[in-house]
Amino acid sequence: MANANVLEGTPHEAGRSSWPQEKVERKVAPAPDRYRNAIGKYKIYRSAACNSCGRCVQVCKYGVHKKPKGYALTLRPEDHLCVGPACSEQGEMCVAACPQKALKIRLNPNADAMGDPRWTSDLIISNWYQAETGHTPPDYLQYRHGESGGGFDKIRFKFEVPGTGYTPPEPVPTEAIDTGLDLNRSGDGRPQVHIDIPLYGGGMSFGSVSIYTILAKARSAAAWNTFSCTGEGGYPDRLMPYDDHMITQVATGLFGVREDTIKRVRIVEFKYAQGAKPGLGGHLLGDKNTPEVARMRGAVPGNALFSPFPFHSVYSVEDHKKHLDWIKEVNPDCLVSVKVSTPTDVDMVAVGSYYAGAHIIHLDGSYGGTGAAPDIAKKNIAMPIEYGIPKVHKFLVAEGIRDKVTLIASGGIRTAYDAMKAIALGADGVVIGTAELVAVGCVRCACCESGRGCPRGIASTDTELAELMTLDWATQRLVNLQNAWHEQMLDILSRLGMKSVRELCGRSDLLCYLGTPGQTKTL
Amino acid sequence: MNDIAERILATRSQVYSRPATPTEAKAAEEGGCGVTGFACTIPLAGRFIYEPSVQMQNRGNGKGGGIAAVGLTPEQMGVPREVLDDAYLLQIALLDPSCHAELERKFVLPDFDVVTSVRQPHVKDYRDVPGLEVCPPDVHRYVVRVKPDKLKKFAEESGLGGLSPRELEDEFVWRNSYRLNDEYYASLGEKRAFVLSHGRDLLVFKLVGYAEQNVEYYQLEDFKAHAWIAHQRYPTKGRVWHPGGAHPFVGLNEALVHNGDFANYYSVCEYLKQRNIRQQFLTDTEVSAQLFDLWDRVYKYPLEYIIEALAPTTELDFDQLPPEKQAVYRQIQATHIHASPDGPWFFIIARSQPDKKKIQLLGITDTAMLRPQVFALQDNGDVQIGLICSEKQAIDATLRSLAKEDMRFCPVADRYWNARGGSSTDGGAFVFTVGENGDGKKKMTCTDKFGREVKLNIGSVRCDNLSEEDEKAEAPQELKDKVDGWLRQGAPAGVDAIFQHAQGLPDWKAGDLKRFCRLIVDGATDAATIATAVEALTLLRDRRFYYGDKRRATVIRVFNIMLARLFDKAPLFGGPASGYWRRVNLATRDLLAAPAADEEVLVIDAEGFPPEGDGCDAVLMCKAHQLGWRRFIVYRLRGQRFHGAGLGLETGDVRIDLYGSNGDYTASGMDGLQLYIHGNAQDQVAQIAKSGKLAIYGDVGQTFMYGAKGGDVYVLGNAAGRPLINAVGHPRVVINGTCLDFLAESFMAGDPLAGGGFVVLNGMEMDGHGRLVTQATPYPGSNLFSLASGGAIYVRDPKRQVTERQLNGGVISPLTDKDWQLILPYLEENERLFGIRVQDLLTVDGAVKAPGEVYRKVSAVTLSVLAGSKKK
Repeated sequence: MANANVLEGTPHEAGRSSWPQEKVERKVAPAPDRYRNAIGKYKIYRSAACNSCGRCVQVCKYGVHKKPKGYALTLRPEDHLCVGPACSEQGEMCVAACPQKALKIRLNPNADAMGDPRWTSDLIISNWYQAETGHTPPDYLQYRHGESGGGFDKIRFKFEVPGTGYTPPEPVPTEAIDTGLDLNRSGDGRPQVHIDIPLYGGGMSFGSVSIYTILAKARSAAAWNTFSCTGEGGYPDRLMPYDDHMITQVATGLFGVREDTIKRVRIVEFKYAQGAKPGLGGHLLGDKNTPEVARMRGAVPGNALFSPFPFHSVYSVEDHKKHLDWIKEVNPDCLVSVKVSTPTDVDMVAVGSYYAGAHIIHLDGSYGGTGAAPDIAKKNIAMPIEYGIPKVHKFLVAEGIRDKVTLIASGGIRTAYDAMKAIALGADGVVIGTAELVAVGCVRCACCESGRGCPRGIASTDTELAELMTLDWATQRLVNLQNAWHEQMLDILSRLGMKSVRELCGRSDLLCYLGTPGQTKTL
Repeated sequence: MNDIAERILATRSQVYSRPATPTEAKAAEEGGCGVTGFACTIPLAGRFIYEPSVQMQNRGNGKGGGIAAVGLTPEQMGVPREVLDDAYLLQIALLDPSCHAELERKFVLPDFDVVTSVRQPHVKDYRDVPGLEVCPPDVHRYVVRVKPDKLKKFAEESGLGGLSPRELEDEFVWRNSYRLNDEYYASLGEKRAFVLSHGRDLLVFKLVGYAEQNVEYYQLEDFKAHAWIAHQRYPTKGRVWHPGGAHPFVGLNEALVHNGDFANYYSVCEYLKQRNIRQQFLTDTEVSAQLFDLWDRVYKYPLEYIIEALAPTTELDFDQLPPEKQAVYRQIQATHIHASPDGPWFFIIARSQPDKKKIQLLGITDTAMLRPQVFALQDNGDVQIGLICSEKQAIDATLRSLAKEDMRFCPVADRYWNARGGSSTDGGAFVFTVGENGDGKKKMTCTDKFGREVKLNIGSVRCDNLSEEDEKAEAPQELKDKVDGWLRQGAPAGVDAIFQHAQGLPDWKAGDLKRFCRLIVDGATDAATIATAVEALTLLRDRRFYYGDKRRATVIRVFNIMLARLFDKAPLFGGPASGYWRRVNLATRDLLAAPAADEEVLVIDAEGFPPEGDGCDAVLMCKAHQLGWRRFIVYRLRGQRFHGAGLGLETGDVRIDLYGSNGDYTASGMDGLQLYIHGNAQDQVAQIAKSGKLAIYGDVGQTFMYGAKGGDVYVLGNAAGRPLINAVGHPRVVINGTCLDFLAESFMAGDPLAGGGFVVLNGMEMDGHGRLVTQATPYPGSNLFSLASGGAIYVRDPKRQVTERQLNGGVISPLTDKDWQLILPYLEENERLFGIRVQDLLTVDGAVKAPGEVYRKVSAVTLSVLAGSKKK
């Protein structure tokens, strides 16, 4: 280690990687869809009557219609940019303007086929919008919540709902708002770790997703001074330039967990359970265990890889403490995060973890995504995260230790609004997973686990499929998404009159629950 | 169930003041905890339970600790022997001492003849006990018998006239305590008093704090008992804890402590409720004690059946039971499976059996062996002691503190072992029974679940405790010259010569061993002789050879003492250096510096270092490594953890030698280094190990090499449960003993013939005289190589005892020449390390066989459950 310092020629800051770290610029830039026919909410049909007069190009404010200079014909419309019938409210619209009446706008049947009530097609498309542009989506897309009829979809900030008797405070200028978090609240003398936005990326192993997906997540985390997580499939060397923004996971299979991988990061996460499938360990199907994945894990290619549940070395809270002590001995400068699902006694699990020496308690609720979990487990076992967070938050407050530990929530955080609701319910920050995958092109087809994995090359280690996207593009998409979320977070905090996201923690009084009409309840 | 048992349970309704409520949730979650206990043929003072409790403080969180004493002395109890045998010791915790008079009026005076009534003395101000944050309850003790007329009335009213007077009185006492608790503890929001214990010849103390604080606060340092148990609690719910939730819990004449957690608490409570038994303290341990009391006192099951009901015999083990046992066990399982605690647990129970003039100490593990457990036995001729503990190092701590005060004890036990849960071999339980010898002396037997006795086959001559004269005697000058010569000669010839000379030990006088070792220590004066002396003494300590009539534990003790004396010669930091080696201890740790040019070895005296945390000696070793030290000797270990972890990548130039009671997670994550454990290793050893070499001169604990990637590892003895689970890559392991169960589950170590990993399982052991003998079966467990997709097990199985039934997916095939070429170098290294000759391994019933006749290969087959889509 000492040698690497010499190579770099800079003093080694406690906890920081000794490997030269690459800086990634936090800059929004357009990152259009990587497929020729991007999917939008609307579809424009152009009939043979079109004579390429170019009128539509003149009226469209959104760049849907294009006729580059020197072209005789208008190009195929980029209909994913189209805002639909609402366009007519803002002035002339192509359909009306077309002298030949050659244009029709309809809801895109592809969009209709996508998604489910939790991840609606609007949520997917608005996520892509944010990933493409880096900004808050327009209102024709419902980007704040889904339509599942429960959970965050039934919870609103009071300012969103008329008639809650909520008086908005004086807005705070967004420049004066801080969205950063300190993750080490224990006062144990270990280094402080600060993140600029109250969220970081979830663990996805090399094996479950492609190297580009992993690297893009890491680079975006570096750009936003936050973290991404390796999952349990090992620590690819290509991640080393982003060590300072990586969390490495110690999970029950211990795949790819080595002393050097533990030593090179600032946060080590113990994955005890996953909200999507409590009681089950990780599972990589045989086909996805390609020779490269198997090499990283030291396993036999082609064989399914199961992680046991639970840790064979941890059957009790004192084993758990010993387990944490071990990692802390190996890396004396790291923070320790404990990821657990949300069983009914999650509050006790959280307190036990705190006393065992965890800096971060990471609750993973039941809505979380995962390719390889039995359907019976998904969404059916763990407690929904919106119940889990306040349960733990209140318990930690009652124990008098809430301000000594960072509480992170995950499992179904799809939007910036979800994230802020989770914080208002009592979390300090959130972890996102699926939202990042959607940003790089996931259509939620749920084929992650079949065959060689993802048809879109995201959750696949197949050498050809993985080449479907470039690293720069994927990085930009994620940087953009974070920026759009950041914008919305600033907006929400501004409206709430808060100068820091830390003020929002536990303010469930700012939320309301939409019951049946007329029964909106204050939380 | 016979009629009278049914009657007892049915009439318990008389005890309950209100209808049953739905089964309530546990009041506290508690996973782990540390448990310890010992039983001895002589009464031992409470201060001896103090030491192991302190050693296991890190298994509790100071929110609950308790102890129990069984087999008390009449003198200290202030009553004659007969009274102590016959009377009940009603011991009450007064959380609110103001309720005492009322309580006494209601629950003691009306029904009992009180022999004595005493307040347990305690330290005046609880804050004088360091670390104690909550004032412990006042403890009041009555020595009582039930008034005969009351007992008669009870028999009439309850219709329990069919019980013997003693059984009737037992039930009366039990019910009285239930009512007392109901009124003063369980039923009140405000908790005022509860019964700590009410059995005969048995006392329980508990408080909010650590177990050993009971000894301090209640001034039990000199209070003597034949058996002690202690429990460190680690509850995680609620801000305020009450001592009522702490262990031990009592049935009647037994106190039970428990490490673990039930998943089926609700189911067990329902089972008890069907038998009219209700809970008051709402913990796993309370229901465990209730189960034991039900099966023991009400159903009158023999101990074996109680153990079977707790930890059922399953799978291959069940099939190996004799048919008549199977018939009984099948009935027990069918009737009581809902009460069998599901989940990780380990019980230690101490009980008195005054009518049989016995006391017993029991340890019972769950079928899957998910909690750590170690048993030990020591026979000092006229004094025997049996110990049960979560960690071996706590056993050693007990013996060490005993030996310090009483010459009869030795800090090393004659035997250490693990139980195999729910097995046909030992049943997962051992019982130490202290009974009468006939000549007024006590004697101890140790038996397993099936009543088979654990016998020690050891010599009787002690080499450690010498008379003053013997101690002072000098070795002959001729021998001194020889030893000096050998030391100068160096390894290997000099070391060999010393070892060969020691083979004469069977013929030596008791003191000769110490004198010989002293010559080695004294002769170590410069770099060369020190290195030789360390190697020679270590070899003598590690290698099993014939000691004749010399008792093994005492021989080991002498080697331990002499090694410590040798290491103590290394100069401390802060003093003048002498080259070759340097020593650091707790007091001088801040003076640690980089090695001088002529310094090679850093000696760490681990005494006093915390077992974990930023101040532990393993962290100090990492610092020393950064300063440039590469060779480490750590001694006087007292359970300190994590040695060999944290040193980083590619530590091929590092060598670590551990002496003493090393702790958990040793060598976890090692990459390249060599680590030698001179003695037994603990749990979680070599987890995620990547490369390097590890030699364990003894047994190794649970989840050994879990998730390992590589490394060459040699184990002289046995591995406990779940070794090499989820190991990948290329670990290469020789285990000379066997494993409890679940060896190499989900093993994924490629093709061993193409660079992958394997385990050689020899199934051998050393008898009390250091001779290599074959174990009863090379692998007793029901699960071998389950769901493995790579790697192989080479099992020494000349009698073809391992069957396909033990495999879940693997296949047994004959050993090929290629296989033998692969494992031979490892067996040769094994021979070099442990002296276990390859030729002896190939010898079956006195004849040398071909490798293929002795070893068999268990390897992976393609399993549809693991295969990708193409293979389906």
